[in-house]
Amino acid sequence: MLATAITAVINGLRGELVRVEVDVAPGLPACHIVGLPDAALLEARERVRGAIRHSGFDYPASRITVNLAPADLRKRGAAYDLAIAIGILVASGQIRGSGGSWALLGELSLAGTLEPVAGVLPMVATLARAGYRRVGVPAHNLAEAGVVNGVEAVGLAGLDDAARLVAGPRGRTARAATRRPAHQLSAPQARAESREAASDDRPPALTGAGEPVDLAEVRGQRHARWALEVALVGGHNLLLVGPPGAGKTLLARAIPGLLPPLDDEEALEVTVIESVAGILGPRGLRRERPFRAPHHTSSYAALVGGGPALLPGEATLAHRGVLFLDELAEFDRSTLDALRQPLEEGVLTIARARGHIRYPARFQLVAAMNPCRCGHLDDPARRCRCLRSDAERYVQRISGPLLDRVDMHVKMARVEPHELVDGPVPEASASVGERILAARAFGLRRNPGRPNAQLGGAALLEACRLSAPTRAVLVELAEADQLSARGVHRVLRVARSIADLELREEVLEQDVLAAGTLRQAPRQPKALAA
Amino acid sequence: MSESDAWICVASVTGVAEELMGVLLARFGSAAEVLQAARDGRLRRWSAGRWTMEGRPALPTTLLDGLADVAADPDTKLAPIRALGLWTLTPLDPDYPARLRDLDPPPNLLNGWGDPAALAGERAVALVGTRRPTPAGRTLAARLARRLAEWRAVVVSGLAVGIDGAAHAATVEVGGRTVGVIGAGHRTPGPRAHAGLRRAIVEGGGALVSEHHPDTHATRGTYPRRNRIIAALAQSVLVVEAPARSGALITARHALGLGRQVLVAPGRVGDWSVAGSLALLRETPARPLVGLDELIADLGYLDAGPAAADIPGPASRAAALASLGPAQRVVAERICRSPAGLDVIVQDTDLPPAAVSGAVTLLLMRGWAQAVGPAYLPAGPLLG
Repeated sequence: MLATAITAVINGLRGELVRVEVDVAPGLPACHIVGLPDAALLEARERVRGAIRHSGFDYPASRITVNLAPADLRKRGAAYDLAIAIGILVASGQIRGSGGSWALLGELSLAGTLEPVAGVLPMVATLARAGYRRVGVPAHNLAEAGVVNGVEAVGLAGLDDAARLVAGPRGRTARAATRRPAHQLSAPQARAESREAASDDRPPALTGAGEPVDLAEVRGQRHARWALEVALVGGHNLLLVGPPGAGKTLLARAIPGLLPPLDDEEALEVTVIESVAGILGPRGLRRERPFRAPHHTSSYAALVGGGPALLPGEATLAHRGVLFLDELAEFDRSTLDALRQPLEEGVLTIARARGHIRYPARFQLVAAMNPCRCGHLDDPARRCRCLRSDAERYVQRISGPLLDRVDMHVKMARVEPHELVDGPVPEASASVGERILAARAFGLRRNPGRPNAQLGGAALLEACRLSAPTRAVLVELAEADQLSARGVHRVLRVARSIADLELREEVLEQDVLAAGTLRQAPRQPKALAA
Repeated sequence: MSESDAWICVASVTGVAEELMGVLLARFGSAAEVLQAARDGRLRRWSAGRWTMEGRPALPTTLLDGLADVAADPDTKLAPIRALGLWTLTPLDPDYPARLRDLDPPPNLLNGWGDPAALAGERAVALVGTRRPTPAGRTLAARLARRLAEWRAVVVSGLAVGIDGAAHAATVEVGGRTVGVIGAGHRTPGPRAHAGLRRAIVEGGGALVSEHHPDTHATRGTYPRRNRIIAALAQSVLVVEAPARSGALITARHALGLGRQVLVAPGRVGDWSVAGSLALLRETPARPLVGLDELIADLGYLDAGPAAADIPGPASRAAALASLGPAQRVVAERICRSPAGLDVIVQDTDLPPAAVSGAVTLLLMRGWAQAVGPAYLPAGPLLG
């Protein structure tokens, strides 16, 4: 007997429809899966057999053939388990009903419970577009499936739930399943719930960011705090340079509490990415702006994306949010250079022999580094132990084109101990965050959808409304510093954000000058100054 | 060939130090005779028999070969000097800097670029210190150099990065004269980062000098040895920031040996950057440097009349400050007090960060401030 079930596969950030055909025919007991399955999918045979037996059904002692169509699409992962199992149950006549009216997603355990799978949101979206508006998903993934409009999503705890769903109120034929007491049926549900609870206080190992910090804990560094505020208003890439203990990391860890929430469109993009990466958890639409802080030992694939499954990397996970790279100079050089494409275009292309994938990666880069390897170059309190040439090489490890993409360079010095102990308690994140939100909204009214950091050329000049004296100051600054055209634009963009912070339409002289100390230091010091 | 050219040829051979030069001259009568002896084999015979006759070891073969080569073709040594456009002074010249003759023995050669008159200036002060100064040390060096230049003193230093560079640069900036003593030959005149500075020194009426032939490379001993020339060329030596085992300490000790005045900028007890300076103050007759006006008094310049009128006087700082806006003046006054980072300036002045940032940019643009690492230092007229 033949049965068909509908499921989906993830390809990049998009889902693709997959039809599961199951044929149960007389012959030697065996199960064959055809249609370009990967290793995890071949192991579905064992999981499906266990799940069917432990859910009170019989595993047919017949020749079972499972075909995954379209046959030329490579399939991976375990999200097909449920569709295959239901297909077998329908094909072997244990449940009545049309396997095809519900699309099914989920990985099975041997006990018959449903495990969450990655990428439910884009897969459900694809199914909905193809006309399959009734979807059964693992209970854990129900919230994200519900994000898709016009879809009737049902959260399932186990295979028996799914059988009941597919068979409908009168379609059930299974003998054993009906005999199972209610509390046993609810056991998988309970397990799924306990996992939900556990996943909430799971340490954020992937982000490495540690506990979020409130700005009230960051003593001193009033200049750097202001610079951070400006950077968050305009979405400018920011580099913090200073000796160890200056508070670079602390300041960066305060960023999550200062970021404005995502708007609807952005939230959908971010949620899809997190769904595919499998880090969304039991939540629905994600509203907080992502803050990712990969460690400097992260591999190329971890940062950029890739690996055998071509999964999105940290750069993509930070899409519409902040990518924080602590100890920038310690990152692998090729890894950093790979970030140039997303910094310029907002997308990452991962090309492999089997094809290429484009992931969105429009993030705001915040980086921190020491001025030299020992960290004490130009530190009056501690002697720098690096050779002069080594100190120069340390900074040069970061390529010029990458630094060119960083609008703001902030030099931080150590905070005096008395300031740490006796200084006034600084402004807390809540009020700073409000100011940032207001300033950002002010700027976005002028150029919708484009933070100041993304303004260029004509749009930038128009947004700044420079008066004649302000132009003169800008020219003087550019000449004194031998700024390139790009350098002038950088200064202007930052000046625009400084003006936004004060909710001012025109960029004035004082804004351009204030942006002056935030620009990149000239790479080669003038000989006379040395 | 003139005796002076012959002297240059002999003295340019690697390994002919002042002592050996004296021995050769005593034996053969003149430099021209030394070359003649190298040509006709008398030099080698004398060297071979030296052990039996005088009880002294023979000269090294490389040295004998070097003398024979230059005797055969004097241009191998003379041409590079001409090609670089250098002038050469030997102790035979009446123009040889008088103060260098205080050294015993004085250097055989002085190859120079720029104006030789800079070496004979009436007032000359050496300013030396570490290659890795703190921002405060750098500022102090620049302020001292500037004040010295205003009093028409030639600033002598060693062309290295750090204090030396700051001293040379500040002198050039106010149009003063400065002399840089190179630790190797003129073809390898020190840090590449200072190429522009070296040119500016020469264009500003100063000079770069070396006791070596232009092709000589720096070796282990050349840098400590050039410090004796720095000490001898100046009447006084100022030490700014010398950590333990700094080359500046060698210069100071040479100067004390020559009977020169040595003034040491003191620092906070326990700071690594002044460990050597403090040791000098404790162990030698060197005296502390306590202020710019006191320095001028200690140097005895006050008796000779006021500073030259063509160089901007100390009044320029007040004028510079007066030309600034209120917030900018507060920031300028703050960095004149001591070098500071933006955060410290914000904290001390209680101005909004944006205003401080703007004021600092303006000072940088006008050349009135200079960024070193995270700190900002006064520059130009603000150094006054």
